[in-house]
Amino acid sequence: MTGKECLDRLRPEDFKTAVRRLAEALDASSVVNLESCVRCGLCAESCHYYLDDGDLRSIPAAKLNLVIRVFKRHLSPGGRMLRKWTGAREFDAAEVREWIDSLYGRCTLCGRCALNCTMGINIPAVIRKARGVLASLGLVPEGLDSTVDLARDSGNNMGISKSEWVETVAWLEEELQAETGDPSARLPLDASGADFLYLVNPREPKFYPLTLTAVGKIFHAAGTKWTMSSDFFDVTNYAYYSGDDSIAALISSRTKETAKRLGVKSIVLSECGHGFVSNRWEAPEWLSAETGFKVQSVLQLVAGYIHEGRLRFDPARNPKPVTLHDPCNLVRLGGIVEEQRFILRQAVSHFVEMIPNREQNYCCGGGGGQLAMTAFASRRRSAGRIKSEQIRRTKARIVATPCHNCLDQLAELNKHHKIGVEIKSVLELAAESLVLPGR
Amino acid sequence: MTVLRWGVVAAGFVSLGALTVLVRKALSRRYPAFHSDPQGRASRGIAYALGRGLLPWEKESARLHLGAYLGGIVYHLGVFAGFGILGALTFEVNLPPLVWTAFRLAGGFGLAAGLGLLAKRAVKPHARRLSCPDDFGANIFVDVFLAAALAASFRSEAVPLFLGYSIFLLLYVPVGKIRHCFFFFLSRISFGRFFGWRGALPPPRGEVGR
Repeated sequence: MTGKECLDRLRPEDFKTAVRRLAEALDASSVVNLESCVRCGLCAESCHYYLDDGDLRSIPAAKLNLVIRVFKRHLSPGGRMLRKWTGAREFDAAEVREWIDSLYGRCTLCGRCALNCTMGINIPAVIRKARGVLASLGLVPEGLDSTVDLARDSGNNMGISKSEWVETVAWLEEELQAETGDPSARLPLDASGADFLYLVNPREPKFYPLTLTAVGKIFHAAGTKWTMSSDFFDVTNYAYYSGDDSIAALISSRTKETAKRLGVKSIVLSECGHGFVSNRWEAPEWLSAETGFKVQSVLQLVAGYIHEGRLRFDPARNPKPVTLHDPCNLVRLGGIVEEQRFILRQAVSHFVEMIPNREQNYCCGGGGGQLAMTAFASRRRSAGRIKSEQIRRTKARIVATPCHNCLDQLAELNKHHKIGVEIKSVLELAAESLVLPGR
Repeated sequence: MTVLRWGVVAAGFVSLGALTVLVRKALSRRYPAFHSDPQGRASRGIAYALGRGLLPWEKESARLHLGAYLGGIVYHLGVFAGFGILGALTFEVNLPPLVWTAFRLAGGFGLAAGLGLLAKRAVKPHARRLSCPDDFGANIFVDVFLAAALAASFRSEAVPLFLGYSIFLLLYVPVGKIRHCFFFFLSRISFGRFFGWRGALPPPRGEVGR
């Protein structure tokens, strides 16, 4: 059933149920946030959607206000008493339509507004909870909905079968051995005695196989004992974007069980922004317990290897100017800020920062589940203009980014906005300039 | 007069009580426990959120809207001064002339800033459309409070009017938007805790191009 059909089938009691779900979903921080917004609108320019279209609905405070006015109408005594005066609104079909258009279609949950809010309101956290209410009504936009369902039903978001995955890894392992000239170079699956479980983005075996061999090459050079899983290998968790906490918890529990089964000490996450936030920060909340494993980004691991002197690079092999796009989930919401810069400074000859950068970077527009939601694709590409202009100003020839959603969106922006750059992952560039031991 | 003074005290207690109930009600909800291992320190994030993070150069939004941001700060300082005047007149405290001058100056500038912010909200299309009647009302009520405070600080005939109006304002605070004054600090603390725990805040000082 499509989102529109679901919307048409909603009965009055469904709206009541949704309000109850909202009441349950809002924690103390969310309520404090909803009570704090003064609608000053200073957050407007922090959002790439607003910078692109100048539409009132794209102002973060306007998106937050959609939740505030329903909260006031149904869950706040002041709002219930003085509906018109406080701008309180009934949660009905018209309101739900606005929620879908704005909370799914005009937000990547990038968090730039939160950092720039004078009141300190965590706007994306509230929007994600509101998305959860829509998810409970079956109103997750098509594309994102099917991605989540596929991950729930097949174990990964692209529906890659176990045999296909195992065969792809075997093929890539041969490629790796040919490239390194070393038959002991491995892309191990279900290896016993490994130090860590490495989770990959299913896009890697499907569309970016070189990122997998790049990581294999780096781990081989560092002399690492690692493994991937033959079944639950997916680093992503698109339920983080749909707002459905029950599916998010299911996916997280599979990862935890897989790590337990393989007897590893830690979990290392491939270059994936929301995969990092989901596994590192949100999974323990969804599971209401520590995962029991050290969870880290592959960038932290590789930066550590460089510090230990286990990896050497020849930056002359990457002579073109390189700039870095900071994935919002990894940097602003994840706290991984300097590792990718440290790796690039070792691996390339000419590194140039975008401005603004780090926690103040602009979102590329590919997060928030936007790449999956076809209904909002043209808006997503248009909003990517801000990032495209930022890239152009650096005069770099290569854009590196440690996130597969960002890689896909930047590749699309490259064509759509005619930027004329190459898009690569950070570790691809690192692998290209890696000096293998004995060479 | 005495009745009005007692009225102010009573309204203050009612207001504080209602605000406390609202805050307790909010905080009685599940508080995010943070089961994850920290990467940074929540306390450092909170210190940033309540300190350096409030400085205008720390936030792009404040830099881009410096007038409105500083206007907001001046406005709120004026409100504090207004309450200072209310306290002095309610409890008949003999303040040194220098303190009266400071209250009057802060109140006067605060009133001007408040009117400026009101005009901005009314004139700018996006600000107007984003606002509900309470957003205008709250601003007007506080502006009138500041004007009355200033008048009362100069002329004793205006004191009864000021005290009477203050009773209304105090009772209105928990009902409408003005209650954000209580939630502001909690919101900043929550923000600092969230980003501090993840090691995303505070950002390093002096990084180029932020």
